Amino acid sequence: MRLYSAFSEETLRTRKLLTEWVGEGFLSKPQYQLLEKETVSDLRTTNIFLRLVLFLFTVISVGAAVGLFFVAFVPHSSQRSDGVTLMICAAICYAAAEFAVSQAKLYRHGIEEALAVCSVGFLCIGMLLAFFGGGFFSSKPDAAQFLVPAAGAFFSLWIWRRFGLDYAFLAAMIFVVFLPHHWTSSPEAQHLVVAALYATGLAGVATIRSRHRFDYIEESYSLVEALLWLGIYLAINLQLSSLNLRAQWWDGTRAASEFARPFYWGTWVLTWCLPPIVLARSIRLKDRFIIAVGAIIAVLTFVCNKPYLGWQRHTWDPMLLGILLTGVVVFIRRWLARGAGGTRHGFTAARLSEKDKQLINVGSAGLGLLSPTPTPQPSSPEFHFGGGQSGGGGASSDS
Amino acid sequence: MTILTRLGQWKEQGKISPEQHAHLSALSRREPLSVFLELNVLLYAGVLAFVAGLGWTVSTWSHQLGDVLVLTILSAILATSFWYCFSRAPAWSAAETPTPSPIFDYVLYLGSLVWSLELGYIEKRFHVLSGQWDLYLLATAILFFFLAYRFDNRFVLSLGLSSLAGWFGLTISHWPTHQDATYRQYALLYCLLVGIVGALLKRRGLKPHFVGTYLNIVANVLFWALLSGVFEREGYGLWFLALLIACSASLAWGLTRRQFAFVAYAAVYGYVGVSSMFLRSVTDNTTLMSYFVVSGVAMLVVLVQIGRRFGRSA
Repeated sequence: MRLYSAFSEETLRTRKLLTEWVGEGFLSKPQYQLLEKETVSDLRTTNIFLRLVLFLFTVISVGAAVGLFFVAFVPHSSQRSDGVTLMICAAICYAAAEFAVSQAKLYRHGIEEALAVCSVGFLCIGMLLAFFGGGFFSSKPDAAQFLVPAAGAFFSLWIWRRFGLDYAFLAAMIFVVFLPHHWTSSPEAQHLVVAALYATGLAGVATIRSRHRFDYIEESYSLVEALLWLGIYLAINLQLSSLNLRAQWWDGTRAASEFARPFYWGTWVLTWCLPPIVLARSIRLKDRFIIAVGAIIAVLTFVCNKPYLGWQRHTWDPMLLGILLTGVVVFIRRWLARGAGGTRHGFTAARLSEKDKQLINVGSAGLGLLSPTPTPQPSSPEFHFGGGQSGGGGASSDS
Repeated sequence: MTILTRLGQWKEQGKISPEQHAHLSALSRREPLSVFLELNVLLYAGVLAFVAGLGWTVSTWSHQLGDVLVLTILSAILATSFWYCFSRAPAWSAAETPTPSPIFDYVLYLGSLVWSLELGYIEKRFHVLSGQWDLYLLATAILFFFLAYRFDNRFVLSLGLSSLAGWFGLTISHWPTHQDATYRQYALLYCLLVGIVGALLKRRGLKPHFVGTYLNIVANVLFWALLSGVFEREGYGLWFLALLIACSASLAWGLTRRQFAFVAYAAVYGYVGVSSMFLRSVTDNTTLMSYFVVSGVAMLVVLVQIGRRFGRSA
């Protein structure tokens, strides 16, 4: 099913690890040169910046080419024929993506990714126009319109499996959110369907990934599992997935009226149960993506608790959260550092990779720019907190 | 063949030592797993949440709490933060220095944010420098630059650059008419100042690893300023020429230094500028679409060639 051979992808991963290890000083330069010769892959890769720019210009070119076709050849066509044309465009884009990989051996190169992404977009818009006349967002949607997000979800999943593009899986998850809207008007059922579909996916991924311990594809399954855990949490946390979020949070009114009481309080219990489950699994698997999701949903549970219970929010709540987070970090760091060799149960707070340092350098330079710098404003004696004066200006790349 | 199998083979062939094999195999099996990055992100979130709550509380309850209590609390946090940093910091060095403790950077970050908060509060309540609020920003920027260079901290360096940009922006708002052209001149002046200072400090060997932060900020501000000139209805020719020169310089820098962010800046900002020139008088959809097809494909061809020639090893 996958376009790339396991050997090629494993070789690329090995090559990447060798580059990291020589940078860390774990391998000598002559060793690296020797081993590098054994890890030559037939796949063509590029760096992240060129990948992003190639993606952008491929989307521009493809979008403009389709636009030109409509403007020049079928300027007064019906929606149905436009839809059919777009579905043909989707097929052409997909074929081009396959060709780019099979012939040019492109791997995470931007071009084949953009073609695959365009094919999903064209397919969904084409189906919508061809079969439903573009009435997807009308107040009385056709029940059969679920076929559009369903096709989007399936095709995205296919792209994920075939090309190994992890964000295609995220796209599939987003398409799934639109499915229950066409099946039931019950908000409870809609939340449950989304959570159940994600849970099914999670069960499947958890089963498959156990066969891929420490190989090239494990990272992809790890990310996908983390996304599914996050998706399940967001589906059951009614304070985050409810539409009148702003009113609930600021006025302290809860979403209970929208939902049946047992369902509402059941989800509240689940929001407290899920973070420890996710964190326990992440620690057992030693999985960084799932650890991150576990930490995120734990913080979200604290943040959402007051709105859930309908309690008044206080201005000092973020301070308490900040103190809690800092306290937890200091405790974990000290606890790990006191273990033999700074390690406990296979975890360490020490930096083992130069990559972590680079990420923090880039992140700190970028996040520093976006940090709030309270300043008095000229037009008013009142000052405003928040809103950096210059905005983001990219990250450092000192390497 | 997984990495563990390969490592086993390399050990048997004598290409790596048994010690290297043991170490690299353990790393590949995530034994141990480092949570360094995760803990740092949580610390950052903790500091930001604390300062956001502090600012919110002060702005909401300042009348009830009273100036003395507010200023005492803010000053206590500020003094404690800076005392911690100055007492724990190693002797200053012009080269990159490791942080003395894992929470050091975040304590400094907290102190810097609380400084901004307290300054804003003082001006709001007492109008000490009434009408000269931009001086606060300049003083803050200077303090942040000092702290960034003293403690080798990129967080605070970015805060300093941000405050300096704010000072330039607020200074221009003193002008009676806020015209794009004047703002643009100040943006260019900011780029010139930051660029020259960054380059001089690097040349003198003062924290040379900061130069990437300077260059990325200068490049983005410069390109935005030049593009705003290119988008003008009249007198855009010179700005367009300047944009082309900046793109060429960014491309050359990116390729020679293997910093492909600058290649990306040149490609994207350059494309936007050139497109705006070409499409200035185009109203026909066919011409518009044809332009994007041809130019998009041309950009792809050029970028693929650049990628083949330079991009793979980065």
